Amino acid sequence: MKAMKLLSKSTIALCAATAVLADERPAALIIAQGGLGDASWNDTAYAGFQSGLEKTGITGRPIESPDVVAQGEEIMRRAADGGFGLVISLEWIHGEPMEALAKDYSDTSWVIMNQTREGDNVASVVFGEHEGSYLAGALAAQVTTDTSIRGINEEAVVGVIGGFKAPGIDKFIVGFIQGAEAINPDIEVIVAYADSFGDPAKGAQMANAMFDDGADIVYQVAGGTGIGIIEAAKARGHYAIGVDNDQDGLAPGNVLTSMVKRVDVAVDQIVTNYAADTFPGGEVMNFGLAENGVALSPMTHTRDIIPASYVEKVEAMKAQIIAGDIDVWDVSNEGYPDFFK
Amino acid sequence: MVNVLVRSLDIVLPLLVAFSIAAIVLLTIGENPVEILTLMATEAFGNVRRFAATLSASTPLLFTAVATAICFRSGVFNVGVDGAFVLGGLAAIFIAFKLPASLGAGLIPLAFIAAAVTGGFWLWLPGVLLAKYEADEVVSTLMLNFIAAGISGYLVNGPLLSPQSGNNVTPLIHETAELERLMPPSTLHAGFIIGLLCIIAYWIWCRNTPSGFEGAVVGQNPRFARAVGISVPAIIILVMVFSGVIAGFGGASHGLGQMHRFSDGFSPGYGFTGMAVALLARNHPIGILFGAVLFGALASAGTTIQLFSNIPLDLVNIIQGTVMIFAVIEAARLMKNRRRQTHAV
Repeated sequence: MKAMKLLSKSTIALCAATAVLADERPAALIIAQGGLGDASWNDTAYAGFQSGLEKTGITGRPIESPDVVAQGEEIMRRAADGGFGLVISLEWIHGEPMEALAKDYSDTSWVIMNQTREGDNVASVVFGEHEGSYLAGALAAQVTTDTSIRGINEEAVVGVIGGFKAPGIDKFIVGFIQGAEAINPDIEVIVAYADSFGDPAKGAQMANAMFDDGADIVYQVAGGTGIGIIEAAKARGHYAIGVDNDQDGLAPGNVLTSMVKRVDVAVDQIVTNYAADTFPGGEVMNFGLAENGVALSPMTHTRDIIPASYVEKVEAMKAQIIAGDIDVWDVSNEGYPDFFK
Repeated sequence: MVNVLVRSLDIVLPLLVAFSIAAIVLLTIGENPVEILTLMATEAFGNVRRFAATLSASTPLLFTAVATAICFRSGVFNVGVDGAFVLGGLAAIFIAFKLPASLGAGLIPLAFIAAAVTGGFWLWLPGVLLAKYEADEVVSTLMLNFIAAGISGYLVNGPLLSPQSGNNVTPLIHETAELERLMPPSTLHAGFIIGLLCIIAYWIWCRNTPSGFEGAVVGQNPRFARAVGISVPAIIILVMVFSGVIAGFGGASHGLGQMHRFSDGFSPGYGFTGMAVALLARNHPIGILFGAVLFGALASAGTTIQLFSNIPLDLVNIIQGTVMIFAVIEAARLMKNRRRQTHAV
């Protein structure tokens, strides 16, 4: 097997000439603003890219630029002109230009994240944030009334702070509420919006207000604003729930869990599909719980302070969601549910 | 003629040194420098499409370099061009998506006016502080950059955020407000022409206008300028406002021609790269044009060579950094002169 791998690696050029079915042209991964080394979105995606390349024997390169935003279109065109068969962009703002220029490069496969774009050769990757948030809500609802855990009061009140009132954010919030109510139909979920993704001070202020109102766990869906929410949880001895990345380490012991988006899983999957000639052009690839595209963090710092039965319950619900026994509301597809207008 | 040669040496020498250092680095990491540098040159100028990409990347620098040079040649050490570029761009984009699309191409001049007013006002502030209260312009303009980033960050994360997106971007501008592309499919747009016009206008202003002449006198010898009756405070405020207007134009051109919306990362430090260009060019218009194209080439080729080699972005940063050192030497020279003059007063 190892020899096979080596062989396939060293004879890629040969394979490209002989293999008729599979596309062996190289793959490019355009790194988003922030660059490699961000210990977050870009690094996670690059890890998935590398593992995908390793598995398939496809060659590929990451590409970084300080003006990735302004030069996006030029970079994408250059990659296609330069013979790359697969171009994945991690930069959100490349969505519109990609949709337009993909038409000029019909034999190149294009991938964009966190949005849905048209085109037979464009695959859109979206994550099942509502499903992951459901699990976060279910965990929070169990913990919030267990006064044996430090920093927890007896009131069945939890909070969630969104960056903005927008469908993309309410997708998280509605999933969270649904998960919390599945555990305790009488739970009160306080919802608020910071109207900013970059205001930690406001995040801290709003989290403190929720703590004053009896909440002891606050889910942050507010980007940089959320850093303030986590800091407030630490200062008050309560709990925050992180989002997107594993933020448990930002305030060890005060971040109950994080709702993690596994962009590495998505990128790995795409490279694998591309190598196998099953690139899902024109499709929306949904990475939910079943695809391991979203997940709760391993809870490194909190696993030991909450009863194991809570985590088991969450695991059971995860299995039910994957099996289709629980239907989690997706605001981005279904609009707003009756319980949340 | 000799003058021109000496001037071009000011730009060529730093580049030669920079590429020699890059070659040494490449040799030590076991790459073939000739191969890589040739690849870079091809990526920057190899064919029409790549050349257009280089010009596209250099477009913002035309504006920021001129905006910087206007002040530097009068001895005003304005490092706040980046802030004026960002806020001018945001103002132009605001006009171009907020006003009705029915205004058609009329949106473009309106957007540029908004950008000029915003940029001009932005640098008028430190201009007045310097002219009237002798507040150090390096400090005030540097600080204003942070404030500009804060203001634009707040607006794009809040009041101006596109309702369609969870990301930090404004809505797209109306299509009628987009600047024409010069060589589709390249992103090179009409803003490049506007940038060239700004360089020409700067040249004419320097050579053929009283205030341009007075600006040069103030830069060379403020005491003499005062002695012959030139109002130094008035010139300081004038060059600051001019600088802000040009920087604002740059932001508008970048917004309407390239980005079509405002987002985080609108300016990856164009103001500072422009400052390096102005310093290396010693404020000369021709030098600015070549310097801007060269830095544009480094940015565009430096990015796309990653597709065809294992060279990380760091190599490009080394080249750019080495060239910048020469700019810093020039800056140090200017600063020294400035101190001497201040003390002499």
